[in-house]
Amino acid sequence: MNKKGYYLLGATLLLAFAGFSATAFKETLTPYVPYEMARKGDRVVQVAGALEKGSSSYVAQEESLYFTLQDPKTKENMDVRYKGLKPANFEDAISIVAIGRYDETARKFEADKLLVKCPSKYQGAEVKTYS
Amino acid sequence: MKKTLPWLLWLWISAVIVGAFYYAPLAQGFIGKSSRILFFHVPMAWVSFTAFIAAAVWSVLYLMKGRQESHDRAAAVAIQLGLLFGILATVTGALWARVMWGAFWNWDPRQTSILISLLFYAAYLALRGAVDDPEKRGRLSAAYALLGMVVTPFLFWVMPRLTYTLHPEPVVNANGKVEMESRMVQVLLASTFAFTILFFWMHNLHCRLQALLARKVEAQE
Repeated sequence: MNKKGYYLLGATLLLAFAGFSATAFKETLTPYVPYEMARKGDRVVQVAGALEKGSSSYVAQEESLYFTLQDPKTKENMDVRYKGLKPANFEDAISIVAIGRYDETARKFEADKLLVKCPSKYQGAEVKTYS
Repeated sequence: MKKTLPWLLWLWISAVIVGAFYYAPLAQGFIGKSSRILFFHVPMAWVSFTAFIAAAVWSVLYLMKGRQESHDRAAAVAIQLGLLFGILATVTGALWARVMWGAFWNWDPRQTSILISLLFYAAYLALRGAVDDPEKRGRLSAAYALLGMVVTPFLFWVMPRLTYTLHPEPVVNANGKVEMESRMVQVLLASTFAFTILFFWMHNLHCRLQALLARKVEAQE
């Protein structure tokens, strides 16, 4: 094989490697699992989704936050119960990650931790003044 | 000129710091003043990526222009600095994540992809350390840095856009637009420019130092 042939072979191998990485990494690079897998409840997992509007309620006696997550792709819903204080930016959330385990009897995802994603608008925030 | 450049750079960086805290407004939806980290975190990530690209360019020059030691040295120093700025971007990102998400680290695709990039380039340094013959070391390192051009753009730009991530929208969003308040854009551009110049200045200093050390070793031998 001449030099040009080697270069071509090298370039093809690199492209194949890039293509393989794109498909193989996509699954392994994300810690967020589909709701279907989370419902098996066999281990602690992370589920991500949009907060269903108006679904959240805080029950002070139980110190628990109840809300519904919706998978943006499949539109599937998942009820979540989080035992703890409501995160400061919860109401502004456009998307939430719940870390925990699915409880088959309560038919709810019992979250130990919530991670909140807020709309990242790089626009000037209104400055509120209180008197 | 050589003497005034560092002073101009420090003056520029000082202005960027003042601008980041007193001129640019806070962004919507961020807790407290956490949005201000944008003016440092984004340029650091940018410089890290630029450094890895620059390393690849110097590697090509090394392979094609007569295996000059200076090109090999320039590529290695660029990767060292790229790692430094990459680590700083990761740390500032983690600090911000603690405020906004409630956790420093969550193996979010953004975090995982930058970590893999950094490990990839840390392995470059290990590879250099393992080969004694300068010619062989240069050739192997250059080939490895070029392989990085397949991995890095993919991990920095493509991967985080393919999967769900907690990371905010990139500055240039999915529609290819920059939707940012004008004062924020000014400070971010000024900061990115400052960090880029800082990188090339540090690179130049480090290369000169390495060349001097190499000459000293030669003289001793």
